[in-house]
Amino acid sequence: MSNDAMMGGLHEPAAATFGGSISRRPLAIIVGLIGLATGAVVPTYLASDFVLRLGGEGLLLGLLALSVAFLMNQAGLVALGAASIYGGAGYLFAIGMSDWGLTPTVALGVAFLLLLVYSAMLGALIVRTNPLAFMMLTLAAGEMVSHAVLLEGLRDYTGGADGLVVRINGSVLGVDAARFTDPAQFWSLAFVVTALVGLAFWGIGRSRLGAMLRAIRENEERMRFSGFNTFLPRLIGYVLVNVVAAIAGFLHVLNAGFVSPESLGLFVSTNTLVAALIGGISGSLGPILGGLIFSFAQDEFGARGLTQLLTGIAIVVFIVVFPRGVVGGLSGLSKRLGWRRET
Amino acid sequence: MIALLIANSLALASLLIMLSSGLALIYGLRDVINFGHGAIYMLGAYLGYTIATVGGFWLALLLVPILLALLGIAFEYLALRPLQRRSHIEVALVTLGLGIIVGQIIIYIYGGEARSVDAPKILSGSVTILHLSYPVYRLFLIVMGLGSCALLALWLRSTSSGLYVRAVSQDPSVARMMGINADRLSLLVTSLSTAFAGIAGVLAGPYLSVDPGMDVVMIVNCLIIVVIGGTGSIGGAIVAALLFGFVQVAGSVFLPNLAALVPYILLMVVLLIAPGGIGRGRVLG
Repeated sequence: MSNDAMMGGLHEPAAATFGGSISRRPLAIIVGLIGLATGAVVPTYLASDFVLRLGGEGLLLGLLALSVAFLMNQAGLVALGAASIYGGAGYLFAIGMSDWGLTPTVALGVAFLLLLVYSAMLGALIVRTNPLAFMMLTLAAGEMVSHAVLLEGLRDYTGGADGLVVRINGSVLGVDAARFTDPAQFWSLAFVVTALVGLAFWGIGRSRLGAMLRAIRENEERMRFSGFNTFLPRLIGYVLVNVVAAIAGFLHVLNAGFVSPESLGLFVSTNTLVAALIGGISGSLGPILGGLIFSFAQDEFGARGLTQLLTGIAIVVFIVVFPRGVVGGLSGLSKRLGWRRET
Repeated sequence: MIALLIANSLALASLLIMLSSGLALIYGLRDVINFGHGAIYMLGAYLGYTIATVGGFWLALLLVPILLALLGIAFEYLALRPLQRRSHIEVALVTLGLGIIVGQIIIYIYGGEARSVDAPKILSGSVTILHLSYPVYRLFLIVMGLGSCALLALWLRSTSSGLYVRAVSQDPSVARMMGINADRLSLLVTSLSTAFAGIAGVLAGPYLSVDPGMDVVMIVNCLIIVVIGGTGSIGGAIVAALLFGFVQVAGSVFLPNLAALVPYILLMVVLLIAPGGIGRGRVLG
């Protein structure tokens, strides 16, 4: 079966909508840096700690959504197991410090390497299948990790259903651990990390890897018959998005100071998916914005049960009615009104 | 011991066969994996619980499939047909969303605690076969599972509508050109699939527990089975369900500490050996 119709209206064709001429590049860099600094600093003066905390959570969800959206948009693959890497990062980091007696920085490095090996092995198994099977397999792998954490034999390490409180003595990567728990400083850090990841994904989308991923998405068979290796680009893409999920997981555990089985669960994965769909998956801005919208909306609509119901409704509504999300919709609108050139 | 092991795994596999063959059928006709299948099974279980407390188990076993077949018709008309031109991934995500909605409404109505359903008198207790005492209810499950398997095979192999279903699954465009009405077949298959999920839900009541997490557990199990069996292959799904039931039961006996992970290990092993699943090449049957 051809993958031509696999993703339908969810993504835009890879038009160079952001492509300015080369002479404008220094200006773009300056504007970008000013924007980055403004976003990282200004809210810490304007917003309350509570809003900053929600914003920080929104950014972490946005980071996860970025990774899911990148794979969806470029490779046509929906990963439903983002949470297992996100939560798994926290668990490995915590276990590294408390059970293996590592310093925070070493624990972080070891956890990162273990996740890299895990996602490369899992990826090697599952990127060979078709997109629907990939979706099923990532869901199954995520559930496997959730079950593994709750295993009776691992209770001493993982704390079972109670999760683990993570105490960090000293500094992580040269940064005092206390700084991660302060909402204002965390917002700045998370904002810069998220913006850089967004920029990196934007760049990768325009690189040879992005072009290959899209070509494989459109017609895997034709690429294979043309002599391209269709396995490796997908594997690299899969590992790459898991690296981002791991970064989000580390930031989460440094900020929250605990990990629990909930952080691994299917609900985090579906929330991520909703965040990506709300913002729109074709680009870097959408998923980040989607994460922030989701986080504040979740606070607005309160009770846990209701949130889940709304998550389900949001998936249906955004796919059926607004497949391009908020950002995609707005950019379509601006095009129609003639504010931006057709490309 | 071996006989008991096989009987227990057959009982579990019976439920899994009813659920995963339904998933494979819809996939065959519509190229859609119904991620909401677990929620439909859960709906069947809770409806079964309610009807069984009012009018008894047999009434539940009769009414629930009818009600869920109607739900399947609604699902076909409201979701599958309007979204026919959208990508398979998008439709799969919509079914995921619908599944979450159904699951959450059930939890909203029934609350978070687990419910238990009693087996009817005639099916409770145990019988002795070849010096082996075995619960009657599990025998009943095996009969139901193998029976539905046989009916399904009979339908697909020796009726014209079964032939059409196989034809559409094999090659939708040629089948349409030959004048087969794929939409009408899909209606039949979708309602059959949800009705089977409902029966599985009712049957699960006295055997497993009826609780809020049952939809996720079962959909993940079914997805594993469908992948092991080769997506869309009913024969593969049935063999995979038997295999899955066996490793699950054997795992809980021999590796109680790791039992929860055994199905995933099976999945990894099968994917390593045969990335396309064991039913590769044959679409249905």
